[in-house]
Amino acid sequence: MTAVEAKALTKKYRDKTAVDGIDLTVNEGELFSLLGVNGAGKTTTIRMLSCLSAPTSGEAFVCGHSVTSDIAGVKSVIGISPQDTAVLMNLTVRENLDFITRVFGFSSSKREQRIAEMLRLFRLDEVESSRAKTLSGGWMRKLSIAMALISEPKVLFLDEPTLGLDVIARRELWRVIEALKGKITIILTTHYMEEAEQLSDRIAIMINGRIEAIGTLGEIEKTAGKTGLENAFVEIAERSMA
Amino acid sequence: MNRIAAFTVRNIKEMVRDPLSYIFCIGFPLVMLIIMTVVNESIPAQSGMTIFRIDNLSAGIAVFGQTFVMLFTALTISKDRSGAFLARMYATPMTPTDFTVGYILPMLIISVIQSVITYAASFIISLITGVSLSAAGILLSVIVLIPSALMFIGFGVLFGTLFNDKAAPGLCSIIISLSSILGCIWFDADSAGGIVLKICRALPFYYSTRSARAAIVPDLSAEKLLIPLMIVVVCAALLLILSAVVFRRKMRADLA
Repeated sequence: MTAVEAKALTKKYRDKTAVDGIDLTVNEGELFSLLGVNGAGKTTTIRMLSCLSAPTSGEAFVCGHSVTSDIAGVKSVIGISPQDTAVLMNLTVRENLDFITRVFGFSSSKREQRIAEMLRLFRLDEVESSRAKTLSGGWMRKLSIAMALISEPKVLFLDEPTLGLDVIARRELWRVIEALKGKITIILTTHYMEEAEQLSDRIAIMINGRIEAIGTLGEIEKTAGKTGLENAFVEIAERSMA
Repeated sequence: MNRIAAFTVRNIKEMVRDPLSYIFCIGFPLVMLIIMTVVNESIPAQSGMTIFRIDNLSAGIAVFGQTFVMLFTALTISKDRSGAFLARMYATPMTPTDFTVGYILPMLIISVIQSVITYAASFIISLITGVSLSAAGILLSVIVLIPSALMFIGFGVLFGTLFNDKAAPGLCSIIISLSSILGCIWFDADSAGGIVLKICRALPFYYSTRSARAAIVPDLSAEKLLIPLMIVVVCAALLLILSAVVFRRKMRADLA
């Protein structure tokens, strides 16, 4: 089953084309990574897929809902953890989670159940009464993802989830993301090769707004004729800019 | 309704947990209330100057306090806009109406609580200074101040939506200065007359103070209470409609 489908998806800002007619298909339960350097168009792509930015042209569907004509439908099936940690700093961890469940109109019992699940899954129990502003970067990022996941989305967008985290916090977050694999469709943007390699079922390499390669790690290595994602990425990037 | 309630509770929690809100929204107005009462005690009775007498001062300080709620409204919205929080919220079922009502309602609740605290302190001062303040007048004044609170909150929503968290407080401080001077909180424009009075009458702040002062007497005359109150109601309605329209348009522009 297809979870996300983009057809000639394009975003232009006056004289700059941020995303240039990309086509992609993400299957249900897949962890799909958009890999690229800063300014490659990764964030703009997931902003369009999550209805935070309207495409200039082209079309995309999330669980069958059009991002141009059925925005409410798309919003009902997605969760997003933005690049900047979007948590409420003066609220506790539990209050942040509770706030999202109330926005989605969950019943009292459902709220408690989902909060307990998220606290357990992300091991947030020990900081549940702490205000978000007192948390470390790693805890805050986990809370941000938990807030995106608590509404039971079918598709989860993670925009640079480990950006700025130390190696320990990054590995801890990888473990959490790996635990979600197969249970939910995840679209992740990153510019860390190791992260894409470690987590992804399939990877799309974005350069200057275009997808230059797409497939499993093995398929991308084969396309590039190089071993290792970093070597393959450099080869594909150099080819596309030649 | 659930979404508005959730957003309202969030905004109240954010504000009550910010120490600056106590300093500006309660502490500063109360300090001004005490200082001006002390100043009033130093003014000779034969001067006939009653602007700082507690029955006049309390309503002025209540309006003065509302200007800081405006500042916090602008700060809350502009900070939400400058971070990724609103981006997260835009991807939820929250509508522009949920956002605007969710910003306005908690600030209104806080503003009413602020008025009650200001009048409670004023009542204590009135017992000490021997100037009578009636409970009915205080209650009426708290109610009369609601449109004024909505007007200032409307300014806050407008500035918070249009400007970032660095520019919005600056613009709010212009309104704070204008409203405290031309709103006749610190001087009696009716006695001054002339061009000063004309300028004061051209702005809504004068009518906020005038209607709150009339209510506390209580003087229910059209000239002192009803007409000023109607002017404030109209201004509040216009500002709230304008701020809601601007927020909706800004949200659409963000999502374009």
